Amino acid sequence: MKEMNITDPEQPLSSLSEDELLRYHRQIIIPQIGEEGQRKIKGAGVFVAGVGGLGSISAYYLAAAGIGRLRIVDRDRVEAGNLNRQIMHWTNDIGAYKVDSASEKLSKLNHYCHIESIQGEMREDNIVELIGDCSIIVDATDNLETRKFLNRASLQKGIPFIYGGVDRFNGMISTFVPGETACFECIFPGAAGEKRPIGIIGPTPGIIASLQALEAVKIILGLEGILKGRLLFFSGTDMTFREIRIDKNPECRICNTVAIKE
Amino acid sequence: MEIEVILNGTKEKVPVDTTISQLLVLENERDKHVVVELNNKYVFLQKYETTVVSDGDRIEFINPDFGG
Repeated sequence: MKEMNITDPEQPLSSLSEDELLRYHRQIIIPQIGEEGQRKIKGAGVFVAGVGGLGSISAYYLAAAGIGRLRIVDRDRVEAGNLNRQIMHWTNDIGAYKVDSASEKLSKLNHYCHIESIQGEMREDNIVELIGDCSIIVDATDNLETRKFLNRASLQKGIPFIYGGVDRFNGMISTFVPGETACFECIFPGAAGEKRPIGIIGPTPGIIASLQALEAVKIILGLEGILKGRLLFFSGTDMTFREIRIDKNPECRICNTVAIKE
Repeated sequence: MEIEVILNGTKEKVPVDTTISQLLVLENERDKHVVVELNNKYVFLQKYETTVVSDGDRIEFINPDFGG
């Protein structure tokens, strides 16, 4: 796999304290990770776009895994109707900003993970700045429009974009790597449909966001077998996974025009 | 003459030489920007008019407006 420079090559990897070696022991003994891999995880900065149903899970697992820096962005406050699936937030968080609720939980989960929380809206004119120097984008948004902003920022910055989406019992995930794969808008070129509340059963975002977190860790480690050029579709209705092959669209108006950072 | 395809999980008979575009019209999905999957491969929007389905093909229409 092409090296993606997820950790800054100019910066030496941080060492791990005795406490960290103990905390991450069950990861470190995986041959594909080891101490060096754990140090790479510690050296990475990941952008989680939203802390709702998907972000509750992906941010939690990424913090637990020992990501050094997690930047979370969300504009909303916690509502009672979120609690069936957004398990980062508890009943006594209703009314609080989601980023505040998430920041509190994640910091308590792993104080070695630096949480940067930003309460605000992700827009086309601020998304690049919001992502900053993070090296992976994890999609945890709930609409097509914001995903397109993330896609274009991914192309501009030349960093991977791990898409995830859920609907009722179903979900899908794919990883878009600028210059190597199709982009999000190669396969989702259409305009957003009519705004409507989407029914979601909690385990569905749990499954998809767990896969997104795993995908992010694998990218950081430079492991093979990520979802490049593959859209993995999960049907909770009949409990099946199927894979859809996706190629770059030669007529895509986005990835054929946005200058990709090499 | 008709062929049999599996459309969104259901066996359906359609005329020979039916295109993806025509299937979308038949299913009343033409204006919903669905993603089209043909035998586990994504079909680009610009190919809808020219992609003809064959007997036994499996076609899925996926709503792209997923939440999070």
